[in-house]
Amino acid sequence: MIQLLAILFGSLGAVLRYLVSGLVQERVRHDFPVGTLAVNLVGAFALGLLVGSGADLESPVIVSLVGLLGGFTTFSTWMVETLGLGPWSVRAAMNLVVMLLGGVLAAAVGFIVS
Amino acid sequence: MPPRTPQTAERRHNRPVPLAAVALGGLLGSAARIGVAAVFASEGFPVAVLVVNLLGSFLLGLYVALRQRAVVRRGSPRFWAIGVLGSFTTFATFSVDLIRLGTENGVISIAAYVVTSVLGGLSVALLGMRIGGLRP
Repeated sequence: MIQLLAILFGSLGAVLRYLVSGLVQERVRHDFPVGTLAVNLVGAFALGLLVGSGADLESPVIVSLVGLLGGFTTFSTWMVETLGLGPWSVRAAMNLVVMLLGGVLAAAVGFIVS
Repeated sequence: MPPRTPQTAERRHNRPVPLAAVALGGLLGSAARIGVAAVFASEGFPVAVLVVNLLGSFLLGLYVALRQRAVVRRGSPRFWAIGVLGSFTTFATFSVDLIRLGTENGVISIAAYVVTSVLGGLSVALLGMRIGGLRP
């Protein structure tokens, strides 16, 4: 039953991803996919924070928040947007490296500051 | 009718119908992700996350190609691409698992997880696009 919370909050996460990544992308006015970068790094930081806090990962609040971050962040869009930049281009390589290292760094910072 | 300014363009995001499509897609994508997580539950190597991320990348590649070639015309990309397939995969868990693997299992399992997820994800997304008739 608790998984229903994770699903509902995952849906909310998807809506937040749509709004936040859209607004960031419009602000930047550049075709580099910064909207997806923004939501993924924020989401990785927030999950690092949650996991590092030592809170009970099976409590309803934490299950809901983890579900939200699952819906808020996206892996498939990262892959497809990277290919869209040109499979062997410098920009594609940049999108891979910045997201990968940024995600690990963001999660680690969340973990440490919690 | 007022002229379209950047501000009115931004407000398009807040229209209720697109938001409902994303929300409903996100509901289905999240349910599927949690279903896969229950089936592939494992200690140690994050098999379930790898499965959803690879499957989701393949399906998104395929969907984008079919949509771009107008083979698929019906249905909203907000529902399928942003909602269902965006929510089915996850980046936050991927990042946190990389740190966990590093502290518990060492650098080789980090490398294995990065290679299978990222090179695997790019390969299957490309495969999906090719099957859909697109050559990026």
